[in-house]
Amino acid sequence: MFSQEIYSNVKTNEPKTKRVSFRATKEFHTNNYTNHYVHNGSFPQKHVSNIENTVDGYPKLQKLFQEKERQIANYATKPFGCKVNIDQIVPTLNKWIQKDHLCFDVVMIGCLTDNQFIYPILSQLPLDRLVSKPGFLFIWASAHKINELSKLLNTEIWAKKFRRSEELVFVPIDKNSPFYPGLDQDDTSLMEKMQWHCWMCITGTVRRSTDGHLIHCNVDTDLSIETQGAQNVAVPEHLYKVAENFSTATRRLHIIPARTGWETPVKLRSGWVIMSPDIMLDNFNPKKYRGEISRIGCNVPLKNEIEVLRPKSPVQKAQQN
Amino acid sequence: MMINLDILTFLIDNNLDILKYPILGKIVDIFAIFQMIMGSNNRITIDDFLSQLQIISGITEGSIGIKDGVNPLDPDEIIDFIDVFSLKILLNQLTQRTVTPKKKEVVGTNHETIIDHSKTNAEKLLDLIDFKQAENKTNLQNDTLVKNLSIKVKKLLATEPKSFQLARERSKETFPVSEYIPKCNDKSHSVILADIIYIANNKIQSIQISKITDNIDLLDCVKSKIHFIPNIKPQTDLSLGDCSYLDTCHKLNSCRYLHYIQYIPESLVEETKQRTQALNEIKLDNLKLPFYTHGYCCSTASKVKLPPQWIKCDVRKFDFDILGKFSVVIADPAWNIHMNLPYGTCNDIELLELPLDKLQDEGVLFLWVTGRAIEIGKDSLKNWGYEVVNEISWIKTNQLGRTIVTGRTGHWLNHSKEHLLVGVKGNPLWLNKHIDVDLIVSTTRETSRKPDELYEIIERLVGPHARKLEIFGRDHNIRPGWFTIGNQLTGTCIHELDVKRKYDKFIEVSSKQKQQSQKKRQHNNNNINNNRQQSSASLTVPSNMMPQAPLSSNKENYYYNMASRGVNMPYIGQNSMNTSFNNNVFNSLPSYYMPSLNEPQQQQHQKQYYYGYQ
Repeated sequence: MFSQEIYSNVKTNEPKTKRVSFRATKEFHTNNYTNHYVHNGSFPQKHVSNIENTVDGYPKLQKLFQEKERQIANYATKPFGCKVNIDQIVPTLNKWIQKDHLCFDVVMIGCLTDNQFIYPILSQLPLDRLVSKPGFLFIWASAHKINELSKLLNTEIWAKKFRRSEELVFVPIDKNSPFYPGLDQDDTSLMEKMQWHCWMCITGTVRRSTDGHLIHCNVDTDLSIETQGAQNVAVPEHLYKVAENFSTATRRLHIIPARTGWETPVKLRSGWVIMSPDIMLDNFNPKKYRGEISRIGCNVPLKNEIEVLRPKSPVQKAQQN
Repeated sequence: MMINLDILTFLIDNNLDILKYPILGKIVDIFAIFQMIMGSNNRITIDDFLSQLQIISGITEGSIGIKDGVNPLDPDEIIDFIDVFSLKILLNQLTQRTVTPKKKEVVGTNHETIIDHSKTNAEKLLDLIDFKQAENKTNLQNDTLVKNLSIKVKKLLATEPKSFQLARERSKETFPVSEYIPKCNDKSHSVILADIIYIANNKIQSIQISKITDNIDLLDCVKSKIHFIPNIKPQTDLSLGDCSYLDTCHKLNSCRYLHYIQYIPESLVEETKQRTQALNEIKLDNLKLPFYTHGYCCSTASKVKLPPQWIKCDVRKFDFDILGKFSVVIADPAWNIHMNLPYGTCNDIELLELPLDKLQDEGVLFLWVTGRAIEIGKDSLKNWGYEVVNEISWIKTNQLGRTIVTGRTGHWLNHSKEHLLVGVKGNPLWLNKHIDVDLIVSTTRETSRKPDELYEIIERLVGPHARKLEIFGRDHNIRPGWFTIGNQLTGTCIHELDVKRKYDKFIEVSSKQKQQSQKKRQHNNNNINNNRQQSSASLTVPSNMMPQAPLSSNKENYYYNMASRGVNMPYIGQNSMNTSFNNNVFNSLPSYYMPSLNEPQQQQHQKQYYYGYQ
């Protein structure tokens, strides 16, 4: 008797609930990931759905990224490493400037660790002689450090030479990430820190509408979230890619004024001279480098496919019309 | 005479122990211990021991300090200092000479173990960069002391204060839960669903669920997750990819890019709602058990949140003294981002000159900034007496939960995030730190509308009853527990009586001033009009017929609001308790000071206001 009752209940209810249950709701639902984090510990950035492929859903942009990657690889110097102790970085660079007359268009300083000695480089080095005009400077550090540096970078002399143009952010995926900032320098903060910042400065003049041979604007965004493949290296690929995609220059230098240790080796990257106490290879030679540059040229040449696909300012279009 | 290496290593290894209690450097006792360690096979006399000590201290001058310093050494003398470093150098010198062949041997065997000859060259090279293996090796080589110390240091650095953990735990147990439905990440699902879902008028009309009843995985997924169904129309060109605007596209009926419709079964929504409600009842019960009260007011569970309050005003000309002090202030100024306009900086200077330093004795200020304003914002915070302690990034997402990567949203790079500066003034001990992370991931809404998640973060930071102010707020910003001011608000509504009194006075004074200036203007206008009328009769509307100052209508509105809400006296007491000063006093009281105000009526109010806007 009892079991029959249940059976009949199930029988009568099932089709009804089914028909009702799959009907679509009318209201748009958005999740509150901040609330979800507090109750479930799942980090908000984990729920971004285009982490692995940022241009997911945009075939044109995907093609643009592929084309750019190929073109950049075709016009890249072979990878150079320069193993230098932290206290020898400034003297070595001074020698490059004065004796070897080396000059770079893209200079990136710093990586994703907190024990960096960026200040001496910025204050002691004649950076305006190391960076050509127009040139691009990327400084990566914790938000805290960037704040400290901004006192120096906001001084009139500095601000005149290097215009601050964008602030980039790199976000590690969770606390197990090698790029999780940890509790260093975190005594005063109210929220747990989950990001690295980058000052992007421009020196000299470039115009986004007319200087397509020098810069490609609006290709990348000012935000990178750590991808799965980015682990076990001191510098995630994203940092290099943003600079490569933005500037067409082939003379690129990355200065890492920090010990990253053998757990996180600094890998070489073609198209870049990387200066670090922990770089895996020490093969830099100014003569050889100049030879490489004269072989490939100072800029990645324009390519029709890229020109068609890349975002451009509407001003230029109006002029063409 | 040969140096006895055993004595030398003994001194180096035990340098701390032999100087400490109970030996205290007594040479006789040191000798006894040395004999004990060496055992019977290497016995020397006390005289030999003394002469050895003398030789060692003679070679490395001052390495062994004798208390009285008399020569020759006496067994009753006391050693009070041993310089291990110079002794080590001596040992090194001696052992290198004698043990060199041995060492070479060791290196040789090590070599063989590292490089296995059976491996190919590529494998050998790979071995060299195998850092995991290197880690093991170095660990073996490393002194256990060094290893233990580094582990300890790492642990110490990674340990957070218990206050962080407690605050986080409290939020987890007492803070209301939002309805959460996970997203499906399997693209094949939406393709299958697109075939069985019938869309018309950009709405899902029906779904033929019978076609997928065999596919149990998909069915389960549909029952538990959000799916986005491609809304394919005659004009849709799939090769173009997704629309940059998706659900916010204005040309939905002609746009050739692909759009999506969110699909959640009604049952799932209902189930989630019920589950969340049940959870929230538990959380509310938990709130009544004050296991950790730091930073909250003394009666968090029973106290009603103040209803929304707002004043429509020109923030630049407003007297901030009216408002009193706040625990938290949010400001979202309309920064003038057009860099090329010569007069553009005017706005920024006006913002900098706002007397925001008046609003807090100690507390937190959240300032939204964009682009160039990041630096101006940091400078302004410093000028107002704040220290920038955090920079929250709002990662903007679209309908599909992707970051915004198209549409030339920035000058040099596209902008996928916005910055929120967090400044702290004074030393507010009543904050609950490190509950949230410095990231907000949330979808964009109307232009410049900021995510509501921030209000929640703030409530966890300062507790639900702290006084909170939003400057440059709009109608969608008003909410219980918050005071909002801005020129785009409709009307004015004040419940705190002291604020109301001061505001009325301000209005009175300023309307008087206005009347005076109007009278002046009227006088002037009349003169002008008279003059003009004399010259031409065509001017018909004199300017003194223009509408009256909007402030007086605000006043009416304010009374209207008070009346319509039936609000009279109940907020007198709470008003004074809600000022940030008093709040802090109550915060510092231990939990057993909490008055029991659990009357049913108040609980109802509590629910209404505390959960009302969730």
